[in-house]
Amino acid sequence: MRQSKLLSILIITAFLFLSAGCTAKGDSGKNITIWHWMTDREPAFKELAKRYEANSGIKVNFELYAPSDAYSQKVRAAAQGSNLPDIFGILGEKRDFASFIKGGFILDLTPYMLEDKAKWKNSFFAKALAVDEFSAGNSYGVAPGIYGVPIDIMTIEMVYNKSLFKQLGLNPNQPPQTFERLLEIGRKLKAANLQGLVSGWGEIWMIDCLASNYAFNIMGKDKVIATIKGEVPYTDPGWVKVLSLFKDMQESGLLASGVVTMVNKTAEQLFANEKAVFAFNGSWCVNVYKGMNPRLEYGAFLPPKASNKYPMAIWGGAGSSFMVSSRSKNKEEAIKFLRWLTEAPQQAYLAESTNNLPANKNSLNWIPPVMADFAKAMDNATHPNVWGVSEFSPVIEALDKGIQSIIIGEKTPEQVAREVQRVKERELAKKR
Amino acid sequence: MRSALYYKAKNTGINLVIHFFMLTVAVTCIFPLLWMISSSLKTQETIFKDMSLIPKVFHFENYYRAWVEGGFGRYFLNSVSYTVIVVVGIIIISSMAAYAFSRLKFPGKNILFFMFIAAMMIPIQGSFVALYVLLNKLHLRNTPLGYILCMINVGLSASIFLLKTFFDKMPKELEDAARIDGCSKLGIWWHVALPLSKPVLAVVVVLNALNVWNEFILALIIFDSRPLMPLQVALMAFQGEFVTQYPLLMAGLTIAVLPIIGLYLLMQKYIIKGVTQGAVVG
Repeated sequence: MRQSKLLSILIITAFLFLSAGCTAKGDSGKNITIWHWMTDREPAFKELAKRYEANSGIKVNFELYAPSDAYSQKVRAAAQGSNLPDIFGILGEKRDFASFIKGGFILDLTPYMLEDKAKWKNSFFAKALAVDEFSAGNSYGVAPGIYGVPIDIMTIEMVYNKSLFKQLGLNPNQPPQTFERLLEIGRKLKAANLQGLVSGWGEIWMIDCLASNYAFNIMGKDKVIATIKGEVPYTDPGWVKVLSLFKDMQESGLLASGVVTMVNKTAEQLFANEKAVFAFNGSWCVNVYKGMNPRLEYGAFLPPKASNKYPMAIWGGAGSSFMVSSRSKNKEEAIKFLRWLTEAPQQAYLAESTNNLPANKNSLNWIPPVMADFAKAMDNATHPNVWGVSEFSPVIEALDKGIQSIIIGEKTPEQVAREVQRVKERELAKKR
Repeated sequence: MRSALYYKAKNTGINLVIHFFMLTVAVTCIFPLLWMISSSLKTQETIFKDMSLIPKVFHFENYYRAWVEGGFGRYFLNSVSYTVIVVVGIIIISSMAAYAFSRLKFPGKNILFFMFIAAMMIPIQGSFVALYVLLNKLHLRNTPLGYILCMINVGLSASIFLLKTFFDKMPKELEDAARIDGCSKLGIWWHVALPLSKPVLAVVVVLNALNVWNEFILALIIFDSRPLMPLQVALMAFQGEFVTQYPLLMAGLTIAVLPIIGLYLLMQKYIIKGVTQGAVVG
């Protein structure tokens, strides 16, 4: 008897709970819905939505779905079910982006970008927009055009601790400009028993990033691309020179102990707690360091040049982008909002409150100096996603592991170059 | 002939090794919990500097902030409701199905049972898109009912398997006696099978409650409205792309973990019985 009563109560409660959630949705009218995954930007987005509503009378609903893996699944499922919101972001590689465009889910924004003498297009860092752009004859088979709006950007550079620079008797406002000078400082900090450069080189891709930066600087873009295409071998003296730089860094004492197996979170912790003089990290570190040690005095600089033949290149581009659904009933309103969101004042507000770099190049004067330093490096930015060709994963792995072996003194640069070339030839043979 | 002292020393030695091993396992299990509680009382800055388990200054306000900033009130209620409804649903359906698979004779019984068991092998992540499209067509997307049905479905296979194994070993005489007393098949299930299977039901309750309580990915995919989301989604608010607010996340986790620890302690007696006496019925 008691069991039956309990069951009845449960069933009634369940029915009431379920009915409470089954209310019909009203017509959205002039509301714009945006799906995103950026937890740390949610309060700033909401504040901007309030300001926009006050200005235009249009309500903007930012809906957060984190973590990013779940968000990606949701967007994919929503595309299948024709439930995409007015504005959304796509995470993943460029080919994922391309598949959404080819599926007819994303609006081509080129005509809007080119309006008014391309005023909107020209407000962005060109390299940030490149991530959302498909050029004529692209390998993805997408009609040329601009399909996304960059909201912020990111660059990966070196940072240095100004207080430790002073302690070493160095000018805190003069980071090293040449590789030789960097090695000199390495020798100085070895003598002072200080830890040098920390980075997440245990996560492999960051070591690949720095190696690629120096490959561009020593050999130039064309030769790097030719190597990826298989036209230049990794045993080329240019590549041996790139690999030798890591040996030089290790021998000078520049690299912190354990850097080879270090994860980026540990590297960030060490740099924020002033236990390392240099770090190689992305612009997101501004936010991370602020949380870990708000009093940290540091500056950002391009990895010092090892050659004067070609400019130094760093990895960077659009951090996050928004796309407009081609099936949205509020396309025009959505585009108007994105235009407003990427204007200098809103971009400066976003940068200031979230510590992410603005995508609008006209907002640099409005943001803190460290962030401006990172943003200015966009002129030197490049990214494997915009090269048009990509290296085989086993080759990248062989190169990265080889560099790790050089750092721990297990192999010479020449040995690693030969090994990487062997892997490259094997992969090319498989492709044939 | 070995002396009594030798055997006593041997037993003491073996006991010492066993206790040392058990203590090591216990510490390994408890340490992350202690670290979570300790971190929940630190600040974002001291969490990276002060590695001690007992913080120098206790920041209890982290719990209040986590509750308010994460909007825990609403989500907590949602999670409790989803967990209770899903677990009750699983118990009713799986016990009925397990009883039928164990006692009734009908065509295709074995194939159907193996199909249920095979469903255990499919990870739910693999069926997200299909589930989304199905719920959308049934107009159940973004409704608690859609989510609850999915979660009941997730827990059914393992629960049916556990209960069927138990019912298979239940003496038939008990059912015969109930039948003589005038019980129908449904009556035997309700008055005999269910009360006897309390230890296995406790295992089913704890396993499924844990599963529903910790689930959030399916909820994120099915729900568009934030007020319908479960508690785990609120925890994600503290985890940024590059920066995590560890003290608030740890405080939130501590709050989230309490009900499930409470449930485990409440059911501990039955769970141990279920594990150790699974074969003994009646």
